[in-house]
Parts: sequence; structure tokens; C-alpha cells
Amino acid sequence: MLEIKNLHARIGDREILKGLSLTVKPGEVHAIMGPNGAGKSTLSYILAGKDDYEITEGEVLLNGQSILDLTPNERSVAGLFLAFQYPIEIPGVATMTFLKAALNSHRKAKGQDELTTPEFMKLVKGVAERLNITSDMLKRPVNVGFSGGEKKRAEIMQMALLQPSICILDETDSGLDIDALKVVSEGVNALRSPDRAFVVITHYQRLLDHIVPDIVHVLSDGRIVRTGGPELALDLEKNGYAAYVADAAA
Amino acid sequence: MVATPARTPAELALVARYPAERTSLPGTADVIAIRDAAFGGVEKSGLPHRRVEDWKYTDLRARLKTFPPAAGPADVARILIAAPAVEDDKARRLVIANGRYRPELSDLKDLEPGLSVFSLATALEAGDTLVLAALKLDDAVAANTAVALNTAFMTDGLVIAVADGAEIQRPVELVHIAEGEPAASTAVRHLVTVGKGARMTLIETIESLDTVAHHSNVMTVLEVGDGAKVDHIRLQLEPDEAVCMTSLVAKIGREASFDTFNAALGAGLARAQIFAEFTGRDARAGFRGVTMLNGRRHADTTLFLVHGAENCQSRELYKAVIDDEARSAFAGRIAVPAHAQKTDARMMTASLLLSEEAEADAKPELEIFADDVQCGHGATCGAIDDDLLFYLLSRGIPKAEAESMLILAFLGEAIDEIQNQAVHDALIHRVEGWLKARAA
Ligand SMILES: Nc1ncnc2c1ncn2[C@@H]1O[C@H](COP(=O)(O)OP(=O)(O)OP(=O)(O)O)[C@@H](O)[C@H]1O
Ligand SMILES: [Mg+2]
Repeated sequence: MLEIKNLHARIGDREILKGLSLTVKPGEVHAIMGPNGAGKSTLSYILAGKDDYEITEGEVLLNGQSILDLTPNERSVAGLFLAFQYPIEIPGVATMTFLKAALNSHRKAKGQDELTTPEFMKLVKGVAERLNITSDMLKRPVNVGFSGGEKKRAEIMQMALLQPSICILDETDSGLDIDALKVVSEGVNALRSPDRAFVVITHYQRLLDHIVPDIVHVLSDGRIVRTGGPELALDLEKNGYAAYVADAAA
Repeated sequence: MVATPARTPAELALVARYPAERTSLPGTADVIAIRDAAFGGVEKSGLPHRRVEDWKYTDLRARLKTFPPAAGPADVARILIAAPAVEDDKARRLVIANGRYRPELSDLKDLEPGLSVFSLATALEAGDTLVLAALKLDDAVAANTAVALNTAFMTDGLVIAVADGAEIQRPVELVHIAEGEPAASTAVRHLVTVGKGARMTLIETIESLDTVAHHSNVMTVLEVGDGAKVDHIRLQLEPDEAVCMTSLVAKIGREASFDTFNAALGAGLARAQIFAEFTGRDARAGFRGVTMLNGRRHADTTLFLVHGAENCQSRELYKAVIDDEARSAFAGRIAVPAHAQKTDARMMTASLLLSEEAEADAKPELEIFADDVQCGHGATCGAIDDDLLFYLLSRGIPKAEAESMLILAFLGEAIDEIQNQAVHDALIHRVEGWLKARAA
């Protein structure tokens, strides 16, 4: 589904990803953990197509097709979704207008007709309800005035609406209270399916208690330095990254 | 001896036109004297250039290529079938075609009690003393080139009076239409007096039925009585070839509430001037506008506001979206004399540049002589925010559509202040049309 091969990326003359490889198969949930500044968000931005980075080597395939030359919107309609670590506020753009534009772009790319307003409203209301997103939040401009946790829930709402095939969640758990963590996890779990995969970036085991990963990776200094099963996350929680950071430096 | 620069073609046309037309323009000898004085000033100084401070960003001498002849009568049949710029059954449309008020095209039925409407040309011909008095302007205003040309060449306009306490329910819409070829000039003056405690919404639309280099000069002199509430909105929708200069002179009385909004969507060369003054204490006013520019168009918004009385509040918000090689200029000067304590004024201007070659100049100025005031100003200028754009793109929205959403959001802050729903919708419709054309 998603294949990242020997990815090198830099910003200015600073190399951030230094030969990162990762293969995600349909139906799998991968967790990526790693120290601050390791390059986790950078990886997620590069996958989503932010053009601040220079890719110097390597490739990224989505369903066998290279995506590095695709624009961010082309990647989105191709099935890639990034739930941002820090969702941005967009004053003046109504949430519903935004959601409708996003949804219709996806439908158009699939050759489907635009949704009628009642169909659209019904769809959004249903998804929003499951994620405890109030109609008041839907009336506001995109993310404006949302609390940290509300922003994260709104990201998952967008994900549920767009039904991507590969979902990248960048620290979606940070800023969530215990109840919201459950709601969001349930939202994510409801989307789990044999033809959809997840890459979950997190610092904490508690998210992985809810969204149980198949595979756990440690990303340090721009590379995957260790890959294991769910037990790896537990080990990291206990012992920290010291061993891996040293490995990476060596 | 100072060398007089050679006259430009536009200046030559002006100098040739005025003597030929002065006696056939409407008005008694008193009016001709006023016209002569106004024209004499322009003739003497020539068109203003960039070294004239008030025209720093809009070098009229360089930019005004011609000064076309006076417009002839309009073809009424074409105006009758033209789609209105604002779809509003409620508005009372008063039509000024090719510089002449056309009662037969206007909606004059069931004038609300307290509302009177008549033609400026008729009043000038009759030597109406009240109207003559209302032609008198503050010296600085009278000397302004766009104003002086309006005074010299005005053919007609509306004299509108709203009686004390009258609430005019239907918005009054002054519809300016230029029709016909080749390009022609019009100069229209409106005198609007809103009595004490009265209320009205005044809409102005300025458009042409033909895409030729019309030259329109529209000036509105507005008296907002004590405790009155006036909402003034102008949609300037001229074709790209046109030159459009508008001037609003507003005196705002005690405890009055006044809002003016200028949408500069058209014209290759546009100048919107506001000369406003608080003449009584405890009043409030909002000055807002949006400018949308593309191609090689140029638009200038110049605001002079005198906070001339105590405890008045004003808000100024002007937003410009500039594409291609277009250029926008904003100059805002707020003067607070020593006696105008408790003045509260906030002026903000923001420009969104959509291309590398687009240009925006902003010159907000405060001249404060009172000590107990709250005044502020700010100016921003920048491109579309990459992070906002990336977020929208990352949800599958194509770039052109995402940019349109962000441009609309940028303008929305100003547009959403328009209280009149029909005008608001008409403007949004135009903005969306502009954005669609840009995205195509
Ligand atoms: N625009 C930039 N310019 C310079 N350096 C950058 C830029 N963006 C990211 N970096 C650097 O790249 C490195 C990786 O950053 P990134 O945000 O990917 O880390 P992360 O693994 O997501 O960390 P965290 O766990 O704190 O979220 C950091 O050292 C960061 O300072
Ligand atoms: Mg990060």
C-alpha cells in the first residue's frame, strides 16, 4: 500500500531524513515512535506533499505508484490523509464550506456527482456526532477557537468523511483528555478495514492501548532504527530511547 | 521663471472642452462662476502628479491618457433591458444614465413621507439658493482635482432630502450607467441631506454597458444629521477600460451613526476619495472597502477623516486583492484636533498579493493633537499563507479553488460588515465571479 524506500530529505542544507524505509500493507496499523526532533512530522509532511523539503534520494509509492511528483491535493484524492500534529486555524473559511469542498473534490476525482446539500449535511452530522463534535463547532470557521483536543477530533472527523486508504496520524493523542482519547480511538478503530492502513505517530503507549498496532517502529535521527511488535512500545515506555539514539549515532 | 511642463493630451482636451461647454452646462450665472473657479484651479496647476502628496501613488498626469468628450443622451431601450447590478426588489432605483437623471427610468412611486428627490440640473437652472449653498465645499476639498473637475463639468445628479425623524424603509439606489460608444465622460453630483434622527440606506452602483474607456466622475455630498443613521454602500463595477473617480464628502452630526463601504471591482484606473468629518460629539462611523485588481489596473483609495468632535468612534478597514501587474494604493489620514478628546479610531489596511508583480502601497497616517485618545493604525501586505493553503490542498481541494477560498476569507472580514443583505449578496456574487475567472 505505502512503500517508502531509502528516503533522504533536507531543508536548506540540513538533512532531516537520512535513508528512511518503511512498508505498510493494507489492513495494517503501524506505530512510529521516536524522540523529539527525530523527523516524524517531517516524514508526515513529506508524505502529504508539503514543498518545503528537498527530496534528495529515495522514493515513495502509494499502491505501486510514485507520489513524489503529485501535488498535495492529488495525493489526497489518491487516498492519503494526514491528521496534523498542529491543525491550523483558517479564519473566514466556514467549516461546512471547507468540508463540502474537500468531499466534492474527492467525489469529482472518482467521477461521482457532487453531494446535494441535504445529503452532505446528513453525512457530516452523523460523523460529527460519533466524535462528539457539536453543531456549534461546525458553524465556526475551520478550527478557529477550537481547543487543542477539539482540533484533533476535527481532524479525525475529516478523515472519517474522506475515507482515505492510508491514514497518517501525527500525535493525534497529544492534547486529548482521557474521554476524548477514547472517542478518537473509537473513531479510528471504526475506520479500520482490510483495505485501509494507518501510520500512527505517537509518544505514548496509552494511545496504543486503544489503537493496537501490528508493527511498531522507532524513528531516530531521520531513520527507522528498530522495528518490532506491540511489545516494543511497552519497552520504550519503560526504558526510553537512550539505547536507540546511541545506536543511531554510532 | 518656472517652466510650465507641456500639457498632456488629457490636459489639452480639458482645456479645450471647458470654455466650449461652460455656458451650455446647467446653471445660472452663479453656477457658472462656481464652475469657473473650480476649473481655473485645475487649469492653473494641471493634472496632479506623483510629487503632489495627495496623488503620490496615483500620478494622474501620467495615468490619465485622454479626457473624452461629454456623454450624449443614453439609449433608454438598452438601459431598460440591462440586468440590475443589485437584485433587490426593495431598493428604490434612481437611474442616472450618461450623467443625466432619468425620472422615467426611476422608481418614484409612493415616495415615503419625509423623502424628497429632485434633479440637480433643474435646481442649478433655477438657481435654487439652498442647492447653491450646498455646492460650497471646504477649500481643501474644493481644490482636489477630482472634485474640481466634478464641479466644473457636473451635468446632473440627485438632490435628496430626508426629513428629521423620517425612517426611509426602502434603500435608495443611485444607479449610474454609461451607455454608448465611443468613450465619453460624465460628471455627476449628488447632494444628500439626512435630517436629525432620520434613517436611510444609500446604495450607489456605477457601471457601463459597453467596454470602452468611459470616464466617470461621481461625487456625493452627504450630510448626516444629529442622531441620524446612514448606511452608504458603493459598488464600482466599471469595465477594465474605464476611468472612475468617486468622491464622498460626509459631515457626521452629533450622536449619528454612519457607515460607508466602497467596493472597487472595476475600472482600469480608479480613485475613491472620502472626505469625512465628525461635526458633533458622540458619533460613530465605519469606513470600509474592498478592492480587487488584475491585469494592469490601478486603484486608489484615499480617506481623509477629521475627528472634529469629542468622543467619536471610527473604524477603518480596507482590503485589497491584487493579481498580475496591478497596483493598489491606500492613503488614510485621520486628524484629531486638540479639542477632540476621547477620540477612538482604528485604521487597518491589508493587501493580498497574488502575483510577484502585483504591488500595494499603503500610507496610514494619524495627526493627533488631543491627548486623551485611543488611535491606532496598521498595514499588512503579503501573499497567500502557504500553511493555510497546504492544509486545504491536503484535503484534496485543488489549488485554484483553495486559493479562492482563502481570498474570499480575506475579503470577508470587510464584506461581512455590510448590513444590507441584497448588496452583500450582490458583492459576494461579483467576487466569486472574479475568483472563478481567475481560477479558469
Ligand atoms: N523548516 C525547518 N527548518 C529547519 N529545521 C527544521 C524545519 N522543520 C523541521 N526542522 C527540524 O527537523 C527536525 C525534525 O523535526 P520534526 O518536526 O520532524 O520532528 P518530530 O520527530 O516530529 O518531533 P516531535 O516529537 O517533537 O514532534 C527537527 O530538528 C527540526 O528542528
Ligand atoms: Mg512532530
